[in-house]
Amino acid sequence: MLALKDLHKRYDDVVALAGCTLQVDRGRMLGFLGPNGAGKTTAMRTIFGLVTPDSGEVTWDDGPIGIEQKRRFGYMPEQRGLYPKMRAQEQLAYLGRLRGMDAKAASASADAWLERLGLADRRMDRVEVLSHGNQQRVQLAAALVHDPELLVMDEPFSGLDPIATETMADILREQAEHGKAVVFSSHQLDLVEDICEEVAIINAGQIVVEGDVRELKDAAPIRHLEVELDGEIGDLFDGLEGVRQIRSDDHIHTAIIDSGTDVRGFLSRAQAIGQLRHFAYTTPSLSDLFREAVK
Amino acid sequence: MSSMGTVWRIALREIREHGRSKSFLVTTSVTFLLVAALVVVPGLIGGGTEESTVGGVGTGNEPIITAAEQLGNASDEPDAEPSVSIDLQEFEDRETAETALDEGEIDAILIDGSEVVVESVGGFGESSLLSLLQQGAASVELEAVVAEGGQAAADVIEVMTSDPLETTTLTGPEAGDETRGAVAYAGLLLLYIAVLLYGNWMLAGVTEEKSNRVVEVLLSSVKPWQILAGKIIGIGSLGIAQFAGTILVAFLAVNLTGAIELPSLDVVVVANLIFWFILGFLLFAVMYGAAGSLVSRMEDAQNVAFPMSMIAVAGFFVSIAALGDPDGTVAVVGTFIPFTAPFVVPVRASLGAIPAWQYIASVVITVATIVGLVLVAGRIYAGGLLRFGSRVKLREAWRSAET
Repeated sequence: MLALKDLHKRYDDVVALAGCTLQVDRGRMLGFLGPNGAGKTTAMRTIFGLVTPDSGEVTWDDGPIGIEQKRRFGYMPEQRGLYPKMRAQEQLAYLGRLRGMDAKAASASADAWLERLGLADRRMDRVEVLSHGNQQRVQLAAALVHDPELLVMDEPFSGLDPIATETMADILREQAEHGKAVVFSSHQLDLVEDICEEVAIINAGQIVVEGDVRELKDAAPIRHLEVELDGEIGDLFDGLEGVRQIRSDDHIHTAIIDSGTDVRGFLSRAQAIGQLRHFAYTTPSLSDLFREAVK
Repeated sequence: MSSMGTVWRIALREIREHGRSKSFLVTTSVTFLLVAALVVVPGLIGGGTEESTVGGVGTGNEPIITAAEQLGNASDEPDAEPSVSIDLQEFEDRETAETALDEGEIDAILIDGSEVVVESVGGFGESSLLSLLQQGAASVELEAVVAEGGQAAADVIEVMTSDPLETTTLTGPEAGDETRGAVAYAGLLLLYIAVLLYGNWMLAGVTEEKSNRVVEVLLSSVKPWQILAGKIIGIGSLGIAQFAGTILVAFLAVNLTGAIELPSLDVVVVANLIFWFILGFLLFAVMYGAAGSLVSRMEDAQNVAFPMSMIAVAGFFVSIAALGDPDGTVAVVGTFIPFTAPFVVPVRASLGAIPAWQYIASVVITVATIVGLVLVAGRIYAGGLLRFGSRVKLREAWRSAET
């Protein structure tokens, strides 16, 4: 179990972490969300000692994290980094060896991951000649080559095409199913909603929302109301209480309303205006939760 | 896995990746070719008959000259111009002959067929003549031994392996200076080139890891000092291998072509050069490594390396001065400054112009400086590695590693 406990970090005038507390169990996958500059990368770096917090501690299985523990972690930094001139397979095997694997196991694991990621025929290519997408794949393999117990991925989905995104999501999910603790940060909220059961939202260095995505949604104080009509909407929403926000484009009208609002009369009033094409009353999306949390 | 295991793996990667990089292979082969050409070409151009004149005092010199000439031409093609021609010029006494030798009219003096006087021992031109004369004298003596009926193998071997002529020089015991100086100068030049070349590898290697951010991946499982140490060992080993290879190629070229006579190379002189090469490399590599950790882009790397390059240039010039005046103030002061010592001390030591206590003190100062620099540089390195973007100030790097 990974635990970040009340981390504080300040760079001169900038507060990066202000009491950040977070926990990831083995076999769980946590989506780590937050606006730019909220402290995601700083928090992830503290796990590897790349940033030393001013106060607070990071533990793995309730113990301090030293070099031995770190060798059993996998890390994909936000700024991808590989030796451009090194061959893909050799690079992966090298990173495996640095984390304590013997030569044979490291080499075999490097090959296995390249095979899995569809790069078997590029194994002896220098990383610099690979396409951007393939470099990303090698980077993923670099985090996984030593079969880590904890995976820390900083924006693993950024810059991936839909197919690569799916592969990445499959692998992360599979790692969690195999009992690894997985934590990844992302801006792509829809994606996180699809693949993650648990999320933590950080804002201004603090975790503001944390928990099971479904529970969070159910417990949210807001609901999402969506209507598509032929005809002018006019003052349709005016009859509702607890409307927090209205967005309209051409025919689709969306309102964020208080979860206690009675919407029973709303549907019939909408139908009276014109042909109803679409109507939805749902728990808020992760994006809505996120906006609520960080506003 | 032990800490040193990690360092070793990092070093191996450096050796492997640098060792098969195009730039390494190209610079190595160009250096080897250049060195070989420097050795071989003068010999090829030289060609023809090597003429020398030997002054004779007393009797018994003629058979030695004749034998020496025969030996020198033994491997010639039958109809070819002889490659060696030695004239004998008789002198009244030793003094007049020595004056002639000093003025360069003759190349050596034979006295009573038992002693040879040369200007200095081990000089490039003369030593080939000297060894021919020795061989000539040995074959004359061998004839005498055979004539006396002493045919025991031991007698023959003794004669063949001895230098029958007693050798004296005009300039006394320090006659070897010129050669040793030349060797020291060549070594110095190589050291200077090596410090700049391999120092820049360090710089480029560290900056590269930072600019392509692989350092963040590395630091997630390896300590900064291990990366620094591994790089220094890896690049240092390659550097020393290239350095030794260059010397080897020079020796091979000399031996295969016989283009020039080998200066009588002292093992001590060579060992001394290699020892200081290692110290000098370590000293500068550590500094270059720390400097490289301060910048994120190759374009900035040369700027932070500038002070180090200036120190190396200064060290080089100080040691040129030391070569001219090995006991002078500049040389002595340079001995005690760790940044010039690797250049100055091998020169002075090669010339035998450094007291033992100065040599030892210099080694101690230099080693202590290296140890101190490793600690300081290790911290700057650790502090600088994860600060990206603009150039990191030394003080910032120092402070950020403090926590």
